[in-house]
Order: sequence, then C-alpha cells, then structure tokens
Amino acid sequence: MKLLEKTSRIYLLASLVIYVAVGIAFYWITTFMIYDEVESRLMVEKRDFESYLQTNNTWTNNSYFVENKIEVVPVFGEFENEATFTDTLIYNRYEESMDPFRQLTFYTMIGGSPYRVAIRKSIVESYKLIEAISAAMITFLALLMVGMFFFQRNLSGKLWRPFYGSLARIKDFDWTRNNKLEFESSEISEFNELNEVMVKMASKMQHDYKSLREFTENASHEIQTPLALINARVEQFIQSQDLSENQTHWIEEIYHAARRMSRLNQGLLLLAKIENQQFTEQESIDLAALIIARLKDFEDIITHKNITIHTETKGSFVKKMSPALAEIMVTNLVSNAIKHNYTDGKLTILTGNNFFVLSNTGHELKADPERLFERFKKESAQAESVGLGLAIVKQICDNYELHIDYRNVDSLHSIRVFA
Amino acid sequence: MFPDSEAIFDAHEFTDMKVLVVEDEKGLAESIVDYLSKEGFVCEVANTFWQADEKISLYQYDCTIVDLTLPDGDGFNIVQTLKKIAAATGIIIISARNTLEDKIKGLEIGSDDYMTKPFHLSELNARVKSLIRRRNFGGNNDMVWKEIRVQLPSRKVFIDEKDTVLSRKEYDLLLYFLSNIDVALTKEAIAEHLWGDHMDSSDSLDMVYSHIKNLRRKILEKGGKDYIQSIYGIGYKFTAP
Repeated sequence: MKLLEKTSRIYLLASLVIYVAVGIAFYWITTFMIYDEVESRLMVEKRDFESYLQTNNTWTNNSYFVENKIEVVPVFGEFENEATFTDTLIYNRYEESMDPFRQLTFYTMIGGSPYRVAIRKSIVESYKLIEAISAAMITFLALLMVGMFFFQRNLSGKLWRPFYGSLARIKDFDWTRNNKLEFESSEISEFNELNEVMVKMASKMQHDYKSLREFTENASHEIQTPLALINARVEQFIQSQDLSENQTHWIEEIYHAARRMSRLNQGLLLLAKIENQQFTEQESIDLAALIIARLKDFEDIITHKNITIHTETKGSFVKKMSPALAEIMVTNLVSNAIKHNYTDGKLTILTGNNFFVLSNTGHELKADPERLFERFKKESAQAESVGLGLAIVKQICDNYELHIDYRNVDSLHSIRVFA
Repeated sequence: MFPDSEAIFDAHEFTDMKVLVVEDEKGLAESIVDYLSKEGFVCEVANTFWQADEKISLYQYDCTIVDLTLPDGDGFNIVQTLKKIAAATGIIIISARNTLEDKIKGLEIGSDDYMTKPFHLSELNARVKSLIRRRNFGGNNDMVWKEIRVQLPSRKVFIDEKDTVLSRKEYDLLLYFLSNIDVALTKEAIAEHLWGDHMDSSDSLDMVYSHIKNLRRKILEKGGKDYIQSIYGIGYKFTAP
C-alpha cells in the first residue's frame, strides 16, 4: 500500500468516527434542550391550571383542541401523588398521522375528589427543527470532511514529494557505474538526513565494487603472468634433445601443475566477478537455442566418444541475462555432460517452458549429490579438472534467480535448470 | 590467382621479419624472443610503455606483440598509436585479462589477434606467422615444406603434388605443425589449438592422438615421409626423419 493511500485511509476512518460521535452528541444535546424547554412550559401550564382551580374550584373538559390539551380524569382507589413526564402519541385527525406529544401527569383535588390531570404539548414542531438542524449539520460536516480529505492528501503529496524524488534516484542508481548518487536538498531535515545516509552508503558500495573489480583484474594479471612464464620456460625446456625419462616426467608435472593453477585462478576469479555482479550487460537469451549452438563446439568430441544426442523441445526458455554468463553456464553444463559420459553413451537435452534438462549416462556419483554444486567437488581424478565448473553454474543461477537441481533418473544424471 | 607468379616460400619465409615484443615481465619477454628468433624473426623488446612508444615511432615492425597491463601505461594506447602511424604492422595482444569486453575492445581498436595468458609459445608463433602471411601476401601464397604443399586460400593439401583430402581438424593440425617445424609440441598445446581451451578433458588428448594417427596415415598413403615424431610423455614434433 502506498504511503499516501495509507494516510488517506487512516484520515478517512478517523474523521468518520469523529463525525458519527459528533452527530450523536449533537442530536442528543438538541433533544435534551427541546425536552427541557417543553417540560418547563408544561410546568408553567400546571401552575396556571392549579391557580385556575383555586379561583373556580371546577374544570370542564374541553377536548376539542389538539394543542394544549388538558385531560382531567377522576381517580378511584390508591394513587401515588407525584408528577411525571411521559412521551405519548396522539392521533391527528387532519393529517391522519400519529403526532408525538410530551405529557405531564399529576394529581389534584377538584371539588373534594381526586383527579388525574394530564397536560400535553405537541413536540412535532421540535422534531421538525431537529430534522432541519441534523440535515444542515450532515451536509456541512460532509463538506468539511471531503474538503479536509483533499487538503491533507494534497499536503501529504507535497510534503512527501522530495522523498519520492529520492526514491526514484535510488532506484536508478547503478553502483557498477561511476555516476555519483545525488539528491536535491529539501526543506525537511529528516529527508536531508536520509539522503546523506544514502549518499554515504552508495559511495561505499561504489568503492567496494570498484576495489573488488580492480582486485580481480590485478590478481588475474599478477598470477597469470608468472604462470605464462612457467609455461613458456617449460616449452623451451622440452626442446632440448637430451632429457632423461625422469626429467621429462618432472617437467610434465610442472607443466600440468601450472596449467591447473591457471585454470583454478581463472575459475575463482570468475566466481568473484559473478558474485560482485561485474557482468552488467543484459540481453534476452534463448537458452535452448544456445545449448544447441554450443553443442556444435563439441562436435568432434561427441563423434570421438560416439555419444548419441537426443534433443526434445517442448517450449522456449528465454531469460534476460548477461550473454557472457549464459555462454559460460551452457558451455560448462554441456562440457560436463560430455566429459563424464561413457564412450557410446547418451546425452538428452530436453527444453520446455522456463526449464531445460541435460541428462547423460555416466559413472555413478561418488560424492553426495547435495554437494555437487559446491566448490572443489571433483568427481574425476583428472589432473586438469579443478572442480569449479558446476560451482560457477550454480553461482550464475543464483545471480539470475534460476534454480538448479540434480536427479538420478533411470541411471541417467539429470541436471535441471528452471526459472 | 596467378599460378605462375605465385611466390613459393620455404620454412625460412620469415627470415628478417621484424617483431617487437612489448612485455614487462622480463623472463616472459625473453622466452618469446628466444622462441621467435629460432624461427628466423628479428626481435626487439620493450619492457615499458615509454620504451614501446619510442620504438614504434622510430622503427617499422612487421608484427608487434603487446601486453595490455604495463607498469607505466595501458597497452591499448600502444595499439591505437600503432594503428595511426604504422597501419601495416600486425598486432597481437597478449593479456591476462580474459573478459569478453577486453577481447572485443582489443579487436575493435585494431589489433589482429588476442591471446590470454598463459599461452603456448608454439601457438603464439603460429599466430604471428599466420598474421604476417595474411598481411603481406593476402593469404594467397602456398606453404611448402619438403614434398608437402598447402594452398592456403583453397585449403588444399598436395603431397608429392597429389591432391590429399584432409578433414578440417587434420588440415588445422598440419598447418600448426608446418608453423612449428622442429619444435616439440605438447599434446595440450595441440588440443588447445584445435578446440580452444574449454576442452580440458583427457578425451581431447585421445582425440589429438587419433587425429595425428589419421594425418600420418594420409601423408604416408600419398607417398610422403613420416615426419610426425612422438616424444614420450610430452607430445609430438614435426621434423625431417
């Protein structure tokens, strides 16, 4: 939920509650005032009635008039001599409706016998007044609420504008580039503080990225150059005619060790670069097509090992990722499926909607399949293998939120990559 | 194209070709110079950016081998300067940087080839020769050694003037041998030359073996001599028996 929406909702809910409470209170107060007024007038009429009795000592019921109706009824038996106010409805013979009345009931002696006297006063006018007041109040409060709602919405929008500006800049910020993160200064000090913190963090990120990038470049140069020297010297050394069998063996070992070290270094640096997200270029890549294309590079070895290739396409797997990393991922997987395959073995490539599976025949796994994608997990004792191929594939998958798993189905090693 | 005027070169076709090696690692520069000198090239070394800058402005080279990471400058600048003042010079970059971007950048600013360290001297040698051939003769000359003649543009091979059909890889292999005559080549160097460095399995060494067997058989069948000599534990050498 957006911030503005959230504040609007809270505002609306709170003002609705207050509105209802104010409405109820107002209604209650008005009613109370009206009753109070009517009752005090009824008390005045009671006094008038009593003084009339004192002078005349008699009363004739004249029930023709609706208003100011005084009803005198003789009472027999016991009664409690007290005055009470009650609400009652009287039939209005002209409007054919029941009208509300306030009634004061008390007892008095007329000509020596007790009578119950009820004086009534219509409050229909008062109800009309309440209705009119209520309607006016509802209209004004509603207008006020709507007005306040738009005012606060507008105000919040204005107040938070620098925040949204900063947010957009942070979203656009790319730490792999040299452009500094910059903000416009705002009147609100909290936003300025936030911006300052963000600028500090961003420049730290850029600095870390840059230094790791430089490190991978330097490490690559500093390690590969001496290895190139070892390689070159070994090549020169083997040109001499008079090498003993032992010397040949040693020199071969030096050569292989240097090659392995170079591969290891390249593999580890590649992992570091992938982790550091140095491959920023992105393209939509059809991974199924890429696998088929990469298979061509392995044509010779596939023919040599007489591996039967079976491809099945059920859908497309297009992923937005770095073309270089897509190549590395696919090449490593294909190379792996061929390297660990038997002569006369099989390789099945199944591609579908957002997944592909490479299945190959091969020796049973010695290691725990769970740890297959860890670094330095070697299946073969081959001197040239450094055990980083699948770790690199895993790291690439992690970077692009792809999943990878291994299964052994019908003694086929299956590696599945899916989105 | 012009069969009569076609220049025919022997293994010493590169005598007196001048090569500049720009490399700050002195031992590596020395190795390259030793190796290429034996092939008949006249080599000079620049260990720093400024030495290289001075040399390319004073002398003409047929080929320049440039390391990208130099203590006092960027090898890319040398490539750019060379392109400006001596466009005829072939340029090969040798670098430890193996990213695609660096390779693309190197080729874009005008280098002819890009090799990642560590590389095989035999591979560098083959590439320098192929580059000079392309630049000087437009790749239109024949490669001749003893009774073997290779027509480069049509990729045809003649043994004793008899047309010999080789597979693509056998042809590449023969050319690699002809560029490195009398040189002990490791199996790994041959495998890398034929399939690139993503084939790091023992299978590729088997494949080298089988291709060599086939190439040897085809040369012998057409009446050639057996020039491929195995060196125990190391690899092969193409040499007169």
